[in-house]
Amino acid sequence: MAGVAADDSAFSSAEKQAIARHGPWPQPVLRDPSNRGSGNADAIALGRALFFDARLSVKGDMACATCHQPARGLADGRDRAQGRERLDRNTPGLWNVGLAHWFGWDGAADSLWSFALRPILNSLELGATPAHVAKVLGGDPAYACLRRNAFGKAAATKASDDQMMVDAAKALAAFMETLNSGKSPFDELHDVLARGDAAAVAQYPADARRGLRIFAGRGNCAVCHFGPNFSNGEFHEIGIPYLLGAGRVDAGRQGGIKAVRADKFNLLGAFSDDASRASGSRTRHVTENHANFGQFKVPSLRNVELTAPYMHNGKLATLRDVVHHYSELSEDRLHQDGEALLKPLRLTDAEADDLVAFLRTLTSRQFPAVAPPLKPTCEPRK
Amino acid sequence: MPMRTLFPLLLWAATAHTALAADPLPIFDAHVHYSHDAWEMVPPKEAVAILRKAGLKRVMVSSSNDDGTQKLYAEAPDLIIPELRPYRTRGEVGTWFRSDTMVAHLEDRLKRYKYVAIGEFHLYGADADLPVPRRMVQLAKEYKLFLHAHSDADAIERMFKQDPNARILWAHSGFDQPGKVREMLRKHKNLWADLAFRSDHGSGGKVNPEWRAAFMEFPDRFMVGTDTYTPERWHYIIEHANWSRAWLADLPRTVAEKLAYKNGEAIFGNMMER
Repeated sequence: MAGVAADDSAFSSAEKQAIARHGPWPQPVLRDPSNRGSGNADAIALGRALFFDARLSVKGDMACATCHQPARGLADGRDRAQGRERLDRNTPGLWNVGLAHWFGWDGAADSLWSFALRPILNSLELGATPAHVAKVLGGDPAYACLRRNAFGKAAATKASDDQMMVDAAKALAAFMETLNSGKSPFDELHDVLARGDAAAVAQYPADARRGLRIFAGRGNCAVCHFGPNFSNGEFHEIGIPYLLGAGRVDAGRQGGIKAVRADKFNLLGAFSDDASRASGSRTRHVTENHANFGQFKVPSLRNVELTAPYMHNGKLATLRDVVHHYSELSEDRLHQDGEALLKPLRLTDAEADDLVAFLRTLTSRQFPAVAPPLKPTCEPRK
Repeated sequence: MPMRTLFPLLLWAATAHTALAADPLPIFDAHVHYSHDAWEMVPPKEAVAILRKAGLKRVMVSSSNDDGTQKLYAEAPDLIIPELRPYRTRGEVGTWFRSDTMVAHLEDRLKRYKYVAIGEFHLYGADADLPVPRRMVQLAKEYKLFLHAHSDADAIERMFKQDPNARILWAHSGFDQPGKVREMLRKHKNLWADLAFRSDHGSGGKVNPEWRAAFMEFPDRFMVGTDTYTPERWHYIIEHANWSRAWLADLPRTVAEKLAYKNGEAIFGNMMER
């Protein structure tokens, strides 16, 4: 392929700057002021246990881990999630989810804990009620103890069912904040480039290097897949159809904005532990515009290799298909002024392979163990 | 006035107010497409049902290709106002103005069907002076049609230079700032503007002050529009009509009615009657 020799050369200063913007890794996960269980060891232990506990579902047959499977990048490998019936959207992976500020493909949740409430309450998923969750939480001595330790004795004695359910969701969020993947080959490149270690830089595979140049250069991928987590955290329409069937459409971000503003569990509501409500600033100011209809969240690309199939509805089976989508992008599907950045990349087969090779270097070499505790234990704290 | 007289009057006033609020403002939607993929996903009967459910009084439709417009017009001639979009496929959005076969295509369709405008077409800057757009401007003059231009101000100026008496509906108000839109409307008495696919003028049901000034200065020159550029957006038409009603309610009623439907009806509705 023409250009291979050039791609073996040292990175230019502009390329080094582009690479630097995707690090360092890992990023610190800041404590969530809306969740007083955030960073608390007992809340994390409770969340870990609940994540795998099918008693949380109304029929006792489904847990968070049913769809967010540790062996599948904390996704499920399906095109669309399978709850009580087939759902409309792809199950998102959960690695590094604590770095986001909107949650779900439509951003209908503005906190990790309110995100956790959605499948719990959705009749097509866990289908629970606040009373059911409160019963699970209160009926297990270890859970009750962990909750009391994490959220305080006063809250434990006078909590409503809603509050009990929110505490469960906050414990789940505290656990999910720990789901942070380790360094990837790309991060190693980032670090050795920063140190100026030319010999170590040369260890980064040549095909991935060429793909990285496309990603950060003419592909303009980094405009949306921005920063250390390879996502700007926002929403775009990229030409993926969103008709669900006759007369039914997935409104995407437009529906998400309506939902988050109306949600009594949002960051402006009574269940947030952030007395200043400063963490609800985005929710306070988010407004709908026409472009939101059919927009979906820009996913992180870290560990993307592990979470096929892709896109909000799982329409694209492989990373190669995703690259092909952007390469042959149908401009018919895009508004000229809505997504002006998106143009077909017209990649050669070799270039597409290179881009995939680069994406595969975003897979972490180490992951923390994600397994259910044998039996949660708890020592009451005074 | 005795109380027994006053009470029925108050009751009447309250009832009248309720009836007014419950009666949705009719909307003339000046920017709808019904392109090849939409025909399959939203067949004509279903499409017309959506338009009627949205409370649209009339709808200006242009499609890639024009068969979509004709299908919809055949289904509801009382509702649909056809425009001739140059594109035979939507993929011609960036190439049509250099196509050797475009002029013959336009001439053929203009002879066979009734239209109020040529458009919506995408045309920017000096491209407006290429031979194909020049001939298109001439055809609009010959057939006494509007041009519905998704253009920057430069291309609008160039088309007016080609035909100072041209009549242009400026799609999306050029995605320009309200100050610039006012400047253009002052300069060109034959320029109208649609507000499709922009939210800045009426976000959250409140009219932006700069846009309010534009609407109050030119209450006869603006129209609303949805812009169904993908088939899925047909399912946004009802939402968009209601969104429009919300911000229009923030204007004086007489101005709101003009923007909502009277301007479109007075110009394009009347063209259909001739």
